[in-house]
Amino acid sequence: MTEPRQISDEDFQKFREFFYRKTGILFEDSKRYFVDKRLLDRMEATGSETFRAYFTTLRFQASGEELQSLINAMTVNETYFFREEYQFECLVKSMLEDLVARRATDSKPLRIWSVPSSSGEEPYGIAIYLLEHWPRINQLDVEIISSDIDTDILAQARRGRYSPRAVQHLPAPLLKKYFVRVGEFYQIDDSLREAVQFTRANVTDPADMRLHRHFDVIFCRNLLIYFDDLSRKRTAESFYDALNPGGFICLGHSESMSRISSLFQVRKFPEAIVYQKPWEAR
Amino acid sequence: MGLKKSHDAPTASEDERRLPRDLPGLLTALADDDPLARRWAARDLAQYPESSRALVERLSIETEPSVTAVILTSLTLIGDEIAVAGLTECLRSEDAMLRNAAIEAMKQLPDEVAPWMGRLLEDLDPDVRIFAVDVLESLRHPQVEDWLIRVITQDAHVNVCATAVDLLGEVGSERAKPALLALKQRFADEPYIQFAADLALKRISAG
Repeated sequence: MTEPRQISDEDFQKFREFFYRKTGILFEDSKRYFVDKRLLDRMEATGSETFRAYFTTLRFQASGEELQSLINAMTVNETYFFREEYQFECLVKSMLEDLVARRATDSKPLRIWSVPSSSGEEPYGIAIYLLEHWPRINQLDVEIISSDIDTDILAQARRGRYSPRAVQHLPAPLLKKYFVRVGEFYQIDDSLREAVQFTRANVTDPADMRLHRHFDVIFCRNLLIYFDDLSRKRTAESFYDALNPGGFICLGHSESMSRISSLFQVRKFPEAIVYQKPWEAR
Repeated sequence: MGLKKSHDAPTASEDERRLPRDLPGLLTALADDDPLARRWAARDLAQYPESSRALVERLSIETEPSVTAVILTSLTLIGDEIAVAGLTECLRSEDAMLRNAAIEAMKQLPDEVAPWMGRLLEDLDPDVRIFAVDVLESLRHPQVEDWLIRVITQDAHVNVCATAVDLLGEVGSERAKPALLALKQRFADEPYIQFAADLALKRISAG
């Protein structure tokens, strides 16, 4: 009978340092169970009898495929309304105010890009948050564009119908105000569906990205972490061109632009850390 | 005022590039006064492997960091001998941003960089040797451990060895043990080497 697979303290330390360097995600000791469980699952899936064997695959596999599978396993990805709400707060309290202060008499709409759109929770969530929490929405126009590579999910986003799970974090008054109950689902208000433009775009394709330009804020959360290093870098460089000077990019809480590209400046606002294209950039 | 749907499809921009997107047009654009034009040219030139020499040449005179970043990405995508040679030259640059970006780029090219590694690890400049070990940090190549063992066995410079021994703590196997023990003897008066070698030995034994 073979010994059950296990992760020693030294293995955990070694893995933690490696994973942090690759992704910027640092697992505290309290996450040990979470990490061990996923590592053991991946060891089993790859037929690795020991941690050393698995780590060698992870470290040296030319395609990087197993590292990607492990990253996917280590990052819980679930979409719902007002996910990582602190960034929406940062949007209305800091980022938009920063942009407005520099725009002077410019009357062009502020443009926000949410990518990937997935089934629409993020762009509609941004719209609701602006209407509810940004008083200047009565003085300035804001355009929200949302893109995804998957045309089926875009159709779903345009339809705007959500499960109770997707809306579970919305305060009840907002749910009542912006949604209609249809059977077991919640149908988003037509005025919001009208307000968001959905487009198809592959962020790793320069030709697609060339058409998406002149944004003031980009939300790209929990997407880059699924890319390899080179694709991540190319995408960041395309985002740089897609932003107006002074524009902001918001990544997911486990992502760091500093590990991807040095083109952006880190802005530490009270609500969140975001990344800014320098004002003097062209 | 309020939320407003954009009526331009998909966004408000037409293609702003002025020069043709064939190779001669892109090479011309690579020398444009406008950094945006140069950036786009550098990005589109990734489709033309024959442009690697022009990209390397531009890299040596480019002053705009955002264009430099895109040139390095395109050179990584092309990854031919000229591109790799250009990247290795960046290790000698005084510009830390360029140097670090080149190291990151080289990490993406394990098979292409491998033939250069022996030479880089024997470079007369210890800084270049340290940067070469930095490349090994994330290089997906089966020879990484051999190169590191060679460094800690042969390199006379304590900082180069210290960089290598740190990494051996991650990738080292039983094979590295004799070299680590010998390193401890060679630099018996260097507390950091003692600490790092002991940690590497501990991790190897635990595996």
